[in-house]
Amino acid sequence: MDAQQAEVRALEAEIAALRRACEEPRTAGEDNWRAQKSLREMYQSDSEGWASSKDLRSHLGHLESELLFLSTLTGISIRNYSMKTEVLRNTEKTEKSITKVLQRHRLSGNCQMITFQLEFQILEIQNKESLSSVITDLNIIMEPTEYSELSEFVSRAEERRDLLMFFRSLHFFVEWCEYRKRTFEHFKEKYPEVVQLPEGAASSCMVVRSARRPGFELVIVWRVQMDEEGKVLPKLDLLPKAPQQALELDRNRVLETAPLSFRALLGVLGIEAALESLIKSLCTADPS
Amino acid sequence: MEWANDGKSRGGVLAHLERLEIQVNRSRKNSEDLQRAQAVEGTLRTKIHKLRCLRDELRAEAKQRQARVKASAANVEPDQTLEISEQEVAERRRENVKAILRAYRFTGLSGKLTSRGVCVCISTAFEGNLLDSYFVDLVIQKPLRIHHHSIPVFIPLEEISAKYLQTNIQHFLFCLCEYLNAYAGRKYQADRLQSDFAAFLAGPLRRNSLCNLLSFTYKVEPRGQSVPFCARLLYKDLTTTLPTDVTVTYEGTDALSPSLEEQRASHENLFFSKPLHQVFTSFARKGEKLDMSLVS
Repeated sequence: MDAQQAEVRALEAEIAALRRACEEPRTAGEDNWRAQKSLREMYQSDSEGWASSKDLRSHLGHLESELLFLSTLTGISIRNYSMKTEVLRNTEKTEKSITKVLQRHRLSGNCQMITFQLEFQILEIQNKESLSSVITDLNIIMEPTEYSELSEFVSRAEERRDLLMFFRSLHFFVEWCEYRKRTFEHFKEKYPEVVQLPEGAASSCMVVRSARRPGFELVIVWRVQMDEEGKVLPKLDLLPKAPQQALELDRNRVLETAPLSFRALLGVLGIEAALESLIKSLCTADPS
Repeated sequence: MEWANDGKSRGGVLAHLERLEIQVNRSRKNSEDLQRAQAVEGTLRTKIHKLRCLRDELRAEAKQRQARVKASAANVEPDQTLEISEQEVAERRRENVKAILRAYRFTGLSGKLTSRGVCVCISTAFEGNLLDSYFVDLVIQKPLRIHHHSIPVFIPLEEISAKYLQTNIQHFLFCLCEYLNAYAGRKYQADRLQSDFAAFLAGPLRRNSLCNLLSFTYKVEPRGQSVPFCARLLYKDLTTTLPTDVTVTYEGTDALSPSLEEQRASHENLFFSKPLHQVFTSFARKGEKLDMSLVS
């Protein structure tokens, strides 16, 4: 009997242990399996279940095409955005009908090769008549680039808290830089022996030099500038170089007046045609 | 008759009977005990049997659990696993994309795709103040056309769309954006002048709906004896928020003293170079300085 009682006690202990094991919090694998099973059952029994997953995907596809449209239209690719809101306690006891909300925004993305990170605050004040929304703080971080013109532009935008101008001008700035690069590359390809890009196609400088005219050099400096209002404008300058003898022979002072003439030429022909004519002028009488 | 006096049985028959009774009781007790023991043993046996069964059941269940965990770990059903995490990923991506789409308003242009084409929303701002937004609903057809819009009638929409809409949507929208932002900026300045600096105005502010022609009479010191000047501001370039033509005149028949003439000329310059409400803010500050100097 003792043996039996012992056996009883042993069995009871084992049962208790097994019960505990079976009630243990389920492992992730266990949960996953259960979820799969229930989901499968759900979808198999209800054909609408599949549709909702497809709905999600088609909705997401629709949203992604909206995003693609906007990034193509504005030239700005926003990759991440988040916002936090804080309702400010109304410390002014006179006006109880005013509510103030402070929004903190974080935004990051890129405009072609330039990446940016923005943090800004918007203060919304709602009183009886109207709602006003003001950007109260703007911080812009741009990846360091070789475009020195950008740093001045960024501090101006931050100072003025002009978010819209920042994006608009950034887009045009990048477009102009891309156009300049394409133009330089085009001329380099068309006149490989004459056109030099000493600082690369993405720089602001193109040199025109002919082996048949040693000592003569036409340096074209093409800067992309941003004015006070945020308007982006190209500024081209011609710096001619000639040997001393040529200068002495230059009675009509062509070389002296070349920079001004170049400006005039730009106005008449536009950038590409003006540059082409300059290059050709140095290549005249070349059999090629 | 002699009663035998042995240890075992005293008292003879009675004692014998007593002994017998004890024996019977004992044996009854024994048998009862035995029965009870047997009964207990029986229940124990049953209990053990039941416990064993239960234990076996639980052991089987525990084994099943283990098997399941192993199976899911070994990705026995990969398709279904992918289904769930794909769903979660898609959900999260959707929320992210929705947020980014909302954020596009800060670039000046945002919008939604419609069944006909696209509805573009143009936002305006001036000096960090977020102002009204306008929309243009475009139908993607050949030719591209505007279904409807909320652009004010005094903005040259037809002119701008004639120039750019068919050839370059981007240029069309950027151009509209420029006009609308400039208008919003001019309107903001005029509104601020009327609301914040009414004390400086000696009459109503006359303005047109495009807010590119403003005329008003003002005094540099609201309470003082200063001379009222008439200002006329014309903004010929509809894409700017600063005037192109400014005339400040003196309402009166007497000639202006040199100092007043200087003041008049400097005011003209101010109106050319600074937003309207900022000009009046500087008047107010100068006035404060003057007051302070009078006090001290």
